[in-house]
Amino acid sequence: MYDELKFENCSHSKDPVLGCALEGVASVIAGINDVSIVIHSPQGCAATVANAFDNHEIDFTKRKIGCTRLFETDIIMGASEKLENLIREADKSFGRSVMFVVGTCAADIIGEDIEGLCKNLQPEINARLIPVVAGGFRGNVYDGINLGLKAITPFIKTSGGGAEDCVNLLIPQANINPTWMGDLDHIKNLLEQLDIRVQTVLPHNMGLEELGSFADAKANILLSGDAGQDFAKRMQEKQGIPLIMGDIPQPVGLKNTARWIRSVATYFDKEEKAEEIIRAGEEKVADILRRRALMIIPRYRNLRIAVCADATYGVALVRMLFEELEMIPELILIRSSNTRAAKILEREIESMGISPKVAFGVDGYQIKKALEESRVDAVLGSSWEKYMAEEAGIKIAFDLFAPTNRDIYLDKAYMGYEGMLNMLEIIGNDWERAFRSKEINWEQYA
Amino acid sequence: MAGKIDENIVFYGHLSELYQLAKEGKIKTGLQGSHTRPCKFWTATKILSGIRNSIVITHGPSGCAYGVKKAYKLTNSRNSGSPYEPVISTNMDEEKVIHGGEGELKGAILEVDSKYRPDIIFIAASCATGIIGDNIDAIVDGLRSKVSARLMTLHCEGFAGEYRSGFDLVFKQITKLMDAPTAELKKQLERSVNIVGGKMGPERTEVDTDVKELVRLLEQMGVGVNSIIAGNCSLEELKRAPSVAVNCTLCLDIGYAIGTEMLNEFGTPLNSTILPYGISATEKWIKGASKYLGMENEAEALIQKEYSHIKEEFEEARKKLVDKIAIIEGHDAIKCLSIAHMLERDFGMRAVIYNFHPWNTGARETSIDYLLETGLDPEILITKGTLAFGKYESMKQTEEELLDFIGGFDKDSVVYFGSSLSFPSIPVVDLNAIMNRPRFGYRGALKVAKCINTALEYSFRKRSALFKKIVFPEKSGLASAGSMTSKLGSELPDCTVYAERRRGKCMMN
Repeated sequence: MYDELKFENCSHSKDPVLGCALEGVASVIAGINDVSIVIHSPQGCAATVANAFDNHEIDFTKRKIGCTRLFETDIIMGASEKLENLIREADKSFGRSVMFVVGTCAADIIGEDIEGLCKNLQPEINARLIPVVAGGFRGNVYDGINLGLKAITPFIKTSGGGAEDCVNLLIPQANINPTWMGDLDHIKNLLEQLDIRVQTVLPHNMGLEELGSFADAKANILLSGDAGQDFAKRMQEKQGIPLIMGDIPQPVGLKNTARWIRSVATYFDKEEKAEEIIRAGEEKVADILRRRALMIIPRYRNLRIAVCADATYGVALVRMLFEELEMIPELILIRSSNTRAAKILEREIESMGISPKVAFGVDGYQIKKALEESRVDAVLGSSWEKYMAEEAGIKIAFDLFAPTNRDIYLDKAYMGYEGMLNMLEIIGNDWERAFRSKEINWEQYA
Repeated sequence: MAGKIDENIVFYGHLSELYQLAKEGKIKTGLQGSHTRPCKFWTATKILSGIRNSIVITHGPSGCAYGVKKAYKLTNSRNSGSPYEPVISTNMDEEKVIHGGEGELKGAILEVDSKYRPDIIFIAASCATGIIGDNIDAIVDGLRSKVSARLMTLHCEGFAGEYRSGFDLVFKQITKLMDAPTAELKKQLERSVNIVGGKMGPERTEVDTDVKELVRLLEQMGVGVNSIIAGNCSLEELKRAPSVAVNCTLCLDIGYAIGTEMLNEFGTPLNSTILPYGISATEKWIKGASKYLGMENEAEALIQKEYSHIKEEFEEARKKLVDKIAIIEGHDAIKCLSIAHMLERDFGMRAVIYNFHPWNTGARETSIDYLLETGLDPEILITKGTLAFGKYESMKQTEEELLDFIGGFDKDSVVYFGSSLSFPSIPVVDLNAIMNRPRFGYRGALKVAKCINTALEYSFRKRSALFKKIVFPEKSGLASAGSMTSKLGSELPDCTVYAERRRGKCMMN
């Protein structure tokens, strides 16, 4: 059982480390190709939507976003006409077959009937209008992802039956690997090696029409520990697509990757191939580290470390850090509150016989406070934790997660065998920098 | 002018004419639904991010606080070495939106005072709480005696005003944190100034910034800087700010709001000029300050000394530029007007500002008035693409229109002042590049001259095919730099830098 951290003075004030529901909804829409989006909101909310499109790295040439730019009179008098006009203009200019009409806090609270408006306006609009109510107050980014998934659920048709071994991959973007596309590619590659086809990646670089065959998949695999569980459950109940591997950590580190591969292989009856992949992967990691990183053994052994991450990585990293790198995970701080993730983490640390301090749903203040009061040697997190560590006098900070302070040009998986090496490479470089003198001590050379 | 441009022109004439048309409602000044700017909440919190040891409590859902924290505070940490800076939210959820969030706000203020011990707590209203009508002022008034920090409310709901209204609101409001001048303090600060109109936070230590150059000039003259408001200023600095000899605007437009407020409230004199790009503007800035400092002689000596250092190189560059045409990218209204001022006054060039959005005639009224009063009236060219609805396509349109426009010029007679992400066939001078700083002051004038010389010297080199391909993907045709939101984060107006993935990102798309 983990030791759950409690914080004072945090009942009413939060220093958020997660975006709001609007960003989550936009993150689902941004994953669908060739659609446009009209936000019924003051102009500032456009930044939140843009952030979601940035997260999918949607090329600037392909963004079709309009905003009603609500002002005070619109709030008082209502702005349905303004929205109608923008929808007409966007339909004409953007020329997309589907347009999401998204109401944010302001429109949501003043009670703009976006659904009714879309229904009435639909006959004169070429694009199919999909209304979504996404006031930021409806939750955090993960709640927003769940809302967005709900909005596109009607497009999912009942399966016509498919014979192939195929899966859907769910919510790859709810992941704080700054280039999470690397993880997605890695997972696809692993599945390909097992002769398992990916039916749909929901929602990333997909066409809305793909949802027509979504239910043909034999299983859903959730790539996030933070969002999508309700959707996966609904799909299980209504479409008969089982969620597999919903109760084990993501494939991070050797043991978790092996467990993940074996689980999916068992489901599809591909055990033999799985063992080959595992053998080759583990060999590759050991071989490279033997040649290039032998000295990580004395470096990392019994290093007391704090992990600050989302549930996807925060839960999955612990075993790698403790059993494979011989570090001591003392503090595990997870940005979201998620009961499923909490249960998995509890099982994990119990099986390892460790008792780190843990907190879910932490904000900036709590992370900083926990770091200040800890006795860790190093922090594994984002650039936020890097700056906090500097203040807290913690010498080493591994800047792995978003928002990161590193330039990354090529997508780098953190999941799987290469992913482990990618993470170790960053950890190794940050370690070196932490111990290099900041200035040359010229007196010693005089 | 090239023939084809005529078909694309929405406006071509002088700034004064555009200004008049806009006032008479004869040209569309509104922004399109695809051209969003930061809202009032964002601009207000941008200024607040420049006040040290203060905490902003956003009374609303968490997204607003999270957004500005990631944009401004994380950038402060990344670029300027600031410690981690929080932005607090009362985290309004559906239930609180229905039943009201006054209790939450009360609790948040008490918690923040206790856990952060800040000098000031700013309570910023968001759209959600503005609409449901939480009585923020009453709550704050009721708590003043119960907390150590100074409390200040800001009604900066995102819908409550245009983009720049957030700047003006905060600058006006923070004068309430200031103490009236005293004879003793005035004596103490008789040779000190405030630089007003700054925003966001401390200066980068590793960059020769414009602000640092102004501070250097002042110090050379024997003048101290009490505070840069609001560029990492403290409550103590703000308190004594009205007692300085004069407020000098950093950005005329934004600095004017606080400068005027302090003039009216405390009688603090205001030295308000256009951005001190180039010699003529810098001279005005220095002389304007010296008048109130009683240091005209020192100012004159400084001007002579500074100019003598750059004279030879500067005059050499001027020879190559005089009578040439300068096409200035109009994305950033204040900057392009200041550059036009410099190029006309210092280099004797003919300035044409390209695609200055008519929206600016309202939003940047102060600067335009100032420029016209000084007798400068640059030419403005606006093409259809600037006013078109859409994103990439309209940007593509403006780039094509630019190329049409420039098609009639040769590279020896025209210089383009804009982003290196544009690819006209004439020399490009990108004054935003970090290595081209400072741009202010005499050193700045020399830097600009050098920058122009280098652009001319290497104008024989074709622009990199690789760079062009990065900006203008083959299948998509041409795009303008303005659409390169992920790359121009730190350069374009109204944009800021996100640290996520270490890429510059535009705040607005």
